[in-house]
Amino acid sequence: MSGILVRNAFVIDPIKRISGEVMDIAIRDGWVVEDAGPDPVVIDASGCLTLPGGIDSHTHVCGTKVNFGRYMSPEDMRAGRTARRGVMHVTSGYSVPTTFGNSYRYSAMGYTTLLEGAMAPLEARHTHEEFTATPHQDMLANTLFDGNWSVMEAVRDRDIKRVAAIVAWTLSAVKGFAIKLTNPGGTEAWGWGQDVRGIHDQVPHFGVTPAEIISAMIEANEILRLPHSVHLHCNNLGVPGNYRTTLATIDLVPDLNPLRQSLYLTHAQFHAYGGSTWRDIDSRAEAICQAVNGKPIVMDMGQVMFGRTTTMTADGPMEWKLYMLHHNKWSNHDVELETGSGIIPVYYSRKSLVNCVMWAIGLELALLTNDPWQCLLSTDNPNGAPFVKYPEIIALLMSRRYREQEGTLLDPRTSHRTAIFSIDRELSWEEIAVMTRAGQAKALGITGLGKGHLGVGAAADLAIYPLDPDGIDPAVQVQEVIAGFSRTKYTIKRGRVVARDGEVIVEGANATIWSRSDVPSQYDMGQDPAFTEKFSQYYTVRMKNYPVQEAYLPRGVCIRTEAAL
Amino acid sequence: MRVLMNTGRSIRQGSYVERKNSQAYYDEASACRMHPVDMMDLGVEPGEHVRATGPAGSVVLHVLPADGVQRGEVFVTLGPYANHLVDAETRGTGMPDFKSTSIDLEPTGEDIATVAMLMEACGGVQYRGRDLE
Amino acid sequence: MKVVDVVCPFCGCLCDDLVVEVCDEKVVKVENGCTLASEKFLGDHRLQSPILREGFGWREIGYEEAISVAADILLAADLPLLYGWSGTHGEAQSVGVHLAEVLGGVIDNTSTVCHGPSILAIQEVGHPGCTLGQVKNRADVVVYWGANAIEAHPRHMSRYTTFTQGFFVKDAHLARTVIVVDTRRTETAEIADEFVQVEAGYDYEILSALRAIVRGREDVISGAVGGVAKTQLIRVAEICKRAKFGAIFFGLGLTMSAGKHKNIRNAIELVEELNRHTKWTISPMRGHWNVYGSNEVFTWISGYPFAVDFSRGIAFYNPGETTSVDILRRGECDACLVVGSDPGAHLPRACAAHLAKIPTIQLDPHVNATTHLATLQIPVAVSGIDAEGTAYRMDGVPIRVQKLVETKFPDDTEVLSAIYRRVREVKGQ
Repeated sequence: MSGILVRNAFVIDPIKRISGEVMDIAIRDGWVVEDAGPDPVVIDASGCLTLPGGIDSHTHVCGTKVNFGRYMSPEDMRAGRTARRGVMHVTSGYSVPTTFGNSYRYSAMGYTTLLEGAMAPLEARHTHEEFTATPHQDMLANTLFDGNWSVMEAVRDRDIKRVAAIVAWTLSAVKGFAIKLTNPGGTEAWGWGQDVRGIHDQVPHFGVTPAEIISAMIEANEILRLPHSVHLHCNNLGVPGNYRTTLATIDLVPDLNPLRQSLYLTHAQFHAYGGSTWRDIDSRAEAICQAVNGKPIVMDMGQVMFGRTTTMTADGPMEWKLYMLHHNKWSNHDVELETGSGIIPVYYSRKSLVNCVMWAIGLELALLTNDPWQCLLSTDNPNGAPFVKYPEIIALLMSRRYREQEGTLLDPRTSHRTAIFSIDRELSWEEIAVMTRAGQAKALGITGLGKGHLGVGAAADLAIYPLDPDGIDPAVQVQEVIAGFSRTKYTIKRGRVVARDGEVIVEGANATIWSRSDVPSQYDMGQDPAFTEKFSQYYTVRMKNYPVQEAYLPRGVCIRTEAAL
Repeated sequence: MRVLMNTGRSIRQGSYVERKNSQAYYDEASACRMHPVDMMDLGVEPGEHVRATGPAGSVVLHVLPADGVQRGEVFVTLGPYANHLVDAETRGTGMPDFKSTSIDLEPTGEDIATVAMLMEACGGVQYRGRDLE
Repeated sequence: MKVVDVVCPFCGCLCDDLVVEVCDEKVVKVENGCTLASEKFLGDHRLQSPILREGFGWREIGYEEAISVAADILLAADLPLLYGWSGTHGEAQSVGVHLAEVLGGVIDNTSTVCHGPSILAIQEVGHPGCTLGQVKNRADVVVYWGANAIEAHPRHMSRYTTFTQGFFVKDAHLARTVIVVDTRRTETAEIADEFVQVEAGYDYEILSALRAIVRGREDVISGAVGGVAKTQLIRVAEICKRAKFGAIFFGLGLTMSAGKHKNIRNAIELVEELNRHTKWTISPMRGHWNVYGSNEVFTWISGYPFAVDFSRGIAFYNPGETTSVDILRRGECDACLVVGSDPGAHLPRACAAHLAKIPTIQLDPHVNATTHLATLQIPVAVSGIDAEGTAYRMDGVPIRVQKLVETKFPDDTEVLSAIYRRVREVKGQ
């Protein structure tokens, strides 16, 4: 394969501390190199903002519940369809596109790495099958442990090492990347139609609290030396007054890792509500940001954008509550010994004060967090909005004027319930680069794989946008910013141009990144009588048939660590 | 006699589903299970043949008594015999009336066709090769 | 050699605890399986070579010729129908969807004559379900509605519900109440604590009556509904409301009888109603071992679980129009590729007649009813015996079926990939 030379690119690379330097980038064999070799393909990137490939650190694109979102929603499938064209397969779907739809649309926006936010271990094989059919991004899977019986029993017994050993076995078996807790304890309670209401509530029958699960998992995560921190969807998502739960959760977090955060708080917008009912809901973004500023915590926004979308989460009880509000259609799927899930379609309306407050909170979180490395851009795709709305969110963060314009369309009470219109801050190109790739790479712990930067040795994942930072004032030229971030001029993935001007031009071949922590043999759960008993007695799948075979990871990249056990 | 035909699975039908040209499948798929009192009314003994006529056509079946079947209904396992009677209309659902087709039964001395003969009647050509069973 | 924890590729239960003894590349013994599993593993009645119909006779041909004939037939068609798919593994289904896409044909799976109406209902109101282990570990009330588990899913009750102990249900047989609703007194009905025998075609009314009672409106119910006494309906509703965890399993008794998808919708809405009181789930008893996999694969590639028409370039879905029975009845398709199914036996006569009229290609290990209608049959390896791949259990849990013995037969993925390659070559793609 001949090399590529990207000429005269306007590069912002926060990890390498390059902020707006016009330079060349040489690429060969999938990596950024000193010298592209003889006769490289030359790409003229003059006047083009050039960033490391975009990374989404929390999105729902592959797996059981995502596919069920498609399955139950022909109306959404009809709302976004393209014909087979060139190397591009047919795509369907707007808020829950088909796998190729996700892959092409992310690629057009310059995204080259995606973390699926929630994979039930029992159904991991499904997630990996869809990963293979999402060919233009490297994929990682958050692995759900929120209602894991073996984990809860070990937490109850105060046996942190056992917690770590269970996580190690499971991640390795299902080829997962990181620990995900979704409404910890709540998904087990939902097995009985119940929920937990705070971090100190007891989980029925298990004698543990969410706080104990969270603390134990944070500790176990560091024992295993996993690349990412615990990835937490807090209890009480979407409940007015839930900011107290979020603050109490933040208080639990120790600082255990010098390289990154000790806890990743996902879709923080849904967890920053004041008030006591939907009538008096207000924003507590400021309180959340104050608590997070300077703490070993990274969050993502979970921004809501107006329009139609589909909500999907492992948080089954939350979806039931949401269904009781919307009365549209409701799907639920509890997973034995592990977790739950739910799906309902929603419409976020500018005419709904609650929706306006939600919209404002997401933006406030991004604008009130001092350090952009601590608040990453997301919509919890597709929960807050489909990811194709990211360019609009970027524009809102970069332009106070745009926010005010939008404000005129909203319920006028929005300005009483939130502080959004009194915030002057406008984010810079560099801050946007942090919030859409560099911050994600660091938070996920994958800079060592060459993700999120463009230094020599980096993975040659690049997004070259038709945006000239020297020639555009993002505070004013909002439409240019949106258009520019919507379609790259070139998206380069592992050293190949995969998309040009929004069209995907090659068949992809992605990698799946997973974590494996090696534990001493006495901590090998595969040999543990009580753990294997779970399979023979209570699971409906035999232990031998549970692990995801290598066949499902045609290009697996394993991050191997040595557990401190 | 007019009855409502219900179709569905049976363990024998399932057991021989990959041997559709076998005697065992033939016996099971061409069985018309009905309430013993209905059999008396129709004047047939177990094992005797009836000609069943439905919206799509007509086929010969053999009768078996079944207490579990309600009067006025018959049960025929899903398969080519039942499908010789069921209309292909789906009323916009994609699903034919597999469980709600009215058929007429009358005693007959005619033979029961094999699966291959039924397919031939649909316009096919009987395969008689060495791997038939 | 004994192989343990073998997955059974027969029904949607996808039992994965079989012990299979293999000797000289043949399965000689099956333990733990039901009758259906034993027949499947021990039955050895394969078609030995591809066969091509010539006039009123048949000629054995090689695989290379068979693949080329198949590709030519599909390429020559204006609207090929690619039907079946529930009897093969996911990797083959995936090639099938891409083949339909390139050909501009219609691809449909057997749920079209099975749980297609359930899918239509789910698309209207959603689906509150769970994995089977949730039921096994928690359920104190289990309902089988229009489903004869003992004959169609013989181990469903012993592995997942009535007869198996669970974490919270130690003494399963006593602790679980079983309700069976059916028009026939089936074998399954014989073991029910409460058998509700409905008059054929009255499921919808009975579901509505139960919904009314659960809502506290038993006053609107007359003395009997669809042949069921009001007192029994009230008793059943009470059992349901008092459950700690209830599970409804429904079968073709709801999808195929009058009302079809509206029956399922009503059943789902009953479950929704019950969730306001306690925990309830509902699950379709999927028939073929990997029919749910065909829905999953079709969906992530095309957006729709079945009946996908690519003839407009985009994926188009309109059950009643793009469903196989309708396409065949109207005589719209001019070629058909059948994979892992037997439409000759399982579709109405008019559909079989159209299949006989057009060139029909069948990929199947056995001589079946469709063989007599086909132009070409290509024998393939059997997934789960001499081919491996992914299957989705009735509750969506994906399990890999194994290859137990070596074989001379290519598997569905290999044959379909070869056809796909050839079609793309000819089309210049």
